[in-house]
Amino acid sequence: MSGLRHLGASVAFTVAAGAGAAALSNDYYLRIAFMMCIYYLCGAGMNVLVGYAGQKSLGQAGLFAAGAYGVALLTIRTSMDPWLALVLAAVISGACGVVIALPSLRVKGPYLAMVTLAFGIVVEKVVSEWTDVFGGASGLFGIRSMTWGGVPLTMLQWVWLALAISLLTHLLIRNLVSGRIGRALLSLQADEIASASVGVRVYRAKVMAFVVAAVTCGIAGALVAQQNQYINSDFITFHLSIFILLMVLFGGVGNIYGPIVGAVLLTVIDSALSSWPAVQHFAYGALLLFALFVMPGGVMGVITPWLARRTKRIAEPAPCSDIALRFSDDSTGELLSVQGISKSYGGVKPAQDVSFRLQRGQVYALIGPNGAGKTTMINMLTGLVRPDSGQITFAGRDAVGMPPHTICSLGMGRTFQNLRLFGELSVLDNVMLGRHSRMRGGFLSSLLALPLARREEALARSRSMDLLGLVDLAHLAHAPAGSLSYGLQRRVELARALATDPQLLLLDEPAAGLNPQETSELGDLLLRISRMGLTILMVEHHMDLVMRISDRVMVLDYGVKIAEGSPAQVQANPRVIEAYLGSDAALPSVETIAA
Amino acid sequence: MKFSSILKRTVLMAGVLAAGLVSAQDLKLGYNGDLSASPSAQSGHAAVLGMQAAVDDINAAGGVLGRKFTIVTRDDQSQPPKSIQNMSDLIDNEKVIAVFGPTNSGNAMAWKHIPNQKKIPVIGNVGSGTAITHPMSPGADNYMFRVSMVDRDQIGALMAYVKKNPAAKVVGLMAETTGYGAGGLKDMQEIAELQGIKIVATERFAVSDTDMTSQLNKLKAANVDTVVVWAQGTPIAQLVRSMEKINYFPVTLTSWAADNITFYDAAGKALANKPIFMRTVSETRTPVQQKLYDRIGSKLKAPSSFSFALHGYDSVQLLAAALKQANSADGTAIKNALEDLRSPVAGVLKTYNKPFSKTQHEALTAGDFVWIKWNDGKLEPYSDPIIKGLVAGDYKY
Amino acid sequence: MSNTMEVALFQALLSGLAVGSAYALVALGFSVTFTTTKTLNFSHGEFVSAGAFIGMSVLLLAVGKPLTSTSFGSVQPGAMVQLIALLVTLALMGAIGWLLFVLGVRPFARRPGMAWVMSTLGFGVILQSIGLAIWGPKPVVVPGPLGDDVIRLAGIGVRPQELLMLGVAVVVMLVFDHVMRRTMVGKAMRAVAHNPGVASLMGINVSMMMVGAFVVSSALAGLSGFMLAPIAQASLFMGLAVGLKGFSAAMIGGLNNARGCVIGGFLLGVLESFVNLWSAQWREVAVFVLVILVLAFRPNGLFGSHTVEKV
Repeated sequence: MSGLRHLGASVAFTVAAGAGAAALSNDYYLRIAFMMCIYYLCGAGMNVLVGYAGQKSLGQAGLFAAGAYGVALLTIRTSMDPWLALVLAAVISGACGVVIALPSLRVKGPYLAMVTLAFGIVVEKVVSEWTDVFGGASGLFGIRSMTWGGVPLTMLQWVWLALAISLLTHLLIRNLVSGRIGRALLSLQADEIASASVGVRVYRAKVMAFVVAAVTCGIAGALVAQQNQYINSDFITFHLSIFILLMVLFGGVGNIYGPIVGAVLLTVIDSALSSWPAVQHFAYGALLLFALFVMPGGVMGVITPWLARRTKRIAEPAPCSDIALRFSDDSTGELLSVQGISKSYGGVKPAQDVSFRLQRGQVYALIGPNGAGKTTMINMLTGLVRPDSGQITFAGRDAVGMPPHTICSLGMGRTFQNLRLFGELSVLDNVMLGRHSRMRGGFLSSLLALPLARREEALARSRSMDLLGLVDLAHLAHAPAGSLSYGLQRRVELARALATDPQLLLLDEPAAGLNPQETSELGDLLLRISRMGLTILMVEHHMDLVMRISDRVMVLDYGVKIAEGSPAQVQANPRVIEAYLGSDAALPSVETIAA
Repeated sequence: MKFSSILKRTVLMAGVLAAGLVSAQDLKLGYNGDLSASPSAQSGHAAVLGMQAAVDDINAAGGVLGRKFTIVTRDDQSQPPKSIQNMSDLIDNEKVIAVFGPTNSGNAMAWKHIPNQKKIPVIGNVGSGTAITHPMSPGADNYMFRVSMVDRDQIGALMAYVKKNPAAKVVGLMAETTGYGAGGLKDMQEIAELQGIKIVATERFAVSDTDMTSQLNKLKAANVDTVVVWAQGTPIAQLVRSMEKINYFPVTLTSWAADNITFYDAAGKALANKPIFMRTVSETRTPVQQKLYDRIGSKLKAPSSFSFALHGYDSVQLLAAALKQANSADGTAIKNALEDLRSPVAGVLKTYNKPFSKTQHEALTAGDFVWIKWNDGKLEPYSDPIIKGLVAGDYKY
Repeated sequence: MSNTMEVALFQALLSGLAVGSAYALVALGFSVTFTTTKTLNFSHGEFVSAGAFIGMSVLLLAVGKPLTSTSFGSVQPGAMVQLIALLVTLALMGAIGWLLFVLGVRPFARRPGMAWVMSTLGFGVILQSIGLAIWGPKPVVVPGPLGDDVIRLAGIGVRPQELLMLGVAVVVMLVFDHVMRRTMVGKAMRAVAHNPGVASLMGINVSMMMVGAFVVSSALAGLSGFMLAPIAQASLFMGLAVGLKGFSAAMIGGLNNARGCVIGGFLLGVLESFVNLWSAQWREVAVFVLVILVLAFRPNGLFGSHTVEKV
């Protein structure tokens, strides 16, 4: 749905829901409607964290507590306006989100789940034990709620308020995930290393996701505390964390409408079965187990494909000719200087005092037998591995110790030996992720869908289509990247690397798995790119490609640079021949291979 | 107007009236408590059985104000959000005239603003947390009543015993880390101060702990000879087992939760008679109580939970009396009647003479409690010279 | 005074080791499935409870009481009966573990996201619902094979079941350590975790290994519950606390290291016991802060190994 249509539909839906609430006959149903909105708020944020960023978090109850107790203490201990207290409670929860995101820097998977779970439990224990401040199980009374016309809000007004906040949350989150940030989060989930290499600040993106989840959960907690005008530690349980997660998964994880569906359905099921708790308990477990089994994508996972068949695909802008593509105007000068780089892993030394320089505008090849340390060299250049000693100067800056995303911003793009595409994302999205670090506008402009963000998105889209045209994949722009054949996937990765506007392109075995025809076409493409101002360094085993397109060749053997020169010079070098063949046999010439 | 249309209208009106009368016939009583999810579920279950027996008796005698009672139960599984939702369900949706419950004191604290706001009386018959029957703010109308043990009153009596006991020179307190334990600990500390008892050490343990030897060793090191414990049945059992491990047996007074069969089973016959505690009734029953036991005893999940059935029975009787006096099902009228019951109400625990007033919402107080010790599997009344010597003036709240 | 303190410290140590042995067995259960399938049974706690109840039911039936009795009274089942009950428990729990794998783990295991976390949780909830329907929420006192009289050594008291549990935990740890490090089975399990496709090509029956891991892990849970029941009373809620602590112990020790898990369990038990000596109120917070600290500085646990991924 287009932006404006979606806005209109969302507002209309919310107004209808509000009118429906006004027609409800008693407070009990209103309370259920209120809880639906509350659970939606928790779920919407969690969806961003679990569905988009892929972070396993089990500590939502702690974030709910941060908002609830925040607003409680603010309204009880101070004479602050309750509306302001609500906003501040959201800020407090956001701060807690930053704290809970700290371990995500170092731990992943079940360990992260455990740490977030531990956080939730620590919060639960602190609020129940530190009774002087938090009231423990006796709780905190007298939380001041918002008023309208001098009177505390009625249940119906609470529902309207919750609906309004839910609408706002939905719109903001949709802005966030349908643009640059959403793409970045999805890339985190797919492959963190590739994500960093295209310029995504991985840690910052994770913190962003945690903060979004924390703020929505915190607001939900604050609303519950103010509506009840009472909170105690019994509200903060592991059970709550699981319920929120269940709601997100049941509704459809990674889908913007998932939390709405999940919240509504689960709240309804919960209340309908409340007269038979034994059945309810069982149904809860059954939902967890079998709904996932039958509907792994959640309810939205069932509905979306059905809907997709009925909606038209928006046409993409046609790619323009490659006259418009230029990577750099500087055609001379030194681009990269590597001095005395060494690295050892115990007894294995992939790099022993290696030095070389790369001049702009040239095509370099790095060759050597298997295990020579070529990929390690590329990893060190791009910041994935830190050298033990030595210097790397790139575009005038000292690059040792810089994180991968910074090196990418400086102008180094790369492809991977073992293909690291974001398989579930479309080809176009993969390439657009390459534009991530070049797009202006940060979190706020994405969140509010400011004109800057929308403009940048359109620009990125057209640039990416141009690049796809360059690698002749424009017709497959919307196919999932993982569904393409191996050779085509390599081209997508190349387009993605080009999208980062590199000055230096590092290619790790770009011709691996290609047949001779494809290899030749790759060579033509690389030559074309080189003429657009790009400096290329490729690690390769296909000697025909190396000899044909390289200006200079460097040879590594067990971490030592044993030769450097023109292709012909290296081909005839006896040390090189010995390294490859271990005898006096000559290296096969280009002619022999082509035959 | 044509005759046939008038006839149709009359028939229609009569039908509506009749339908209204039929549905308005039953007076709904709500129960909101734990019926399945934790060991306290057996108490809730027993209370409902007692309530149902009272309802059967009252309905058999023609009901009240010409209408019959029915009970609508909601299981809150000891979860506050669920308990709050149930309260709204019972009051707003089912339109009950009164609510009974909860089993869990923490849950009452979470929802007590609702019946006070909606002006529906609540008579608790299980949960004993002191603060449940306090008004929302000093002097405000209070719709929370209770026919059950009261923590503060129990503690008042236990502390009076400690004060009066010449052998109690060094006193310690222990409590579990749940809301129940925390609330009890607060009452214990306050009343100890009122009595002028110096508390030398306070220790805590979790409800699922199996070993309290560390905490007990600390008490032993401080030479504590009397300890007052506030916890549920199973941890009290683990506590006395831990005492056996380190061979340290101070005089032990506990919460009424020691009456739970889980305590007896876990502690074993020998250790079970260590704690001294109080209940509303021992297993020595009056004839009226025995008759009720013969009716419902087999349906109880544990024989020792019978006391809650008695609470349940009496709470309904008190409500019925208030209803009759108020001559209306309006919540405020019932509350006022409860606070001013003019004729005595014959219950199974006792006969109630003006049990409530504007400031007193507890039907059972320290004077109604019985001192208990386990003896060979039975909850027997317990007496010793100290108890015999206690007079009204010894109790401080 | 110092002598009392000494005694108190030793008591805390011994009690801590006893409690820790329960955590150790549970931690080991988590480690077994993680090492082979990179998934965890998040309802391991419910499995522990189930083990306790199955064992209890067999004992009840053996002494002629109905399944749903709430007490053994003064009946003391003999050692042979206890052994049979244990074997039946292990077998049944293993079968339930197989069921869990087939229904709740295999369909979701290699997918990104949290599907298998939720499905194992769901399985546990269903298990608990069934248990509540059969036995109800009331805890049941179960007699242990060695009786219940306190054993006194140098002023310290310990119950025979606690010593038994401690011994069993150590023996089990030694067995698993040996299997994981020295035998082909252990290597095969680790191979399967790393890359099931390649492991299969190497002739390892991947499916069998994974099923085996879950069967063994569930049997371990059953053993934990069976051993724990005479100490903590069999209750459908007993597994929750011990499951969470056991998981924390595995995190501290290192999920993919059998020895580490068990040591983590003992460490946790002793830590709890000593914190009790200081201020029992903050015990839970202390435990989880420790977990967070360990994971902050050694993300793979104290003894776990970090898999180096080739980029």
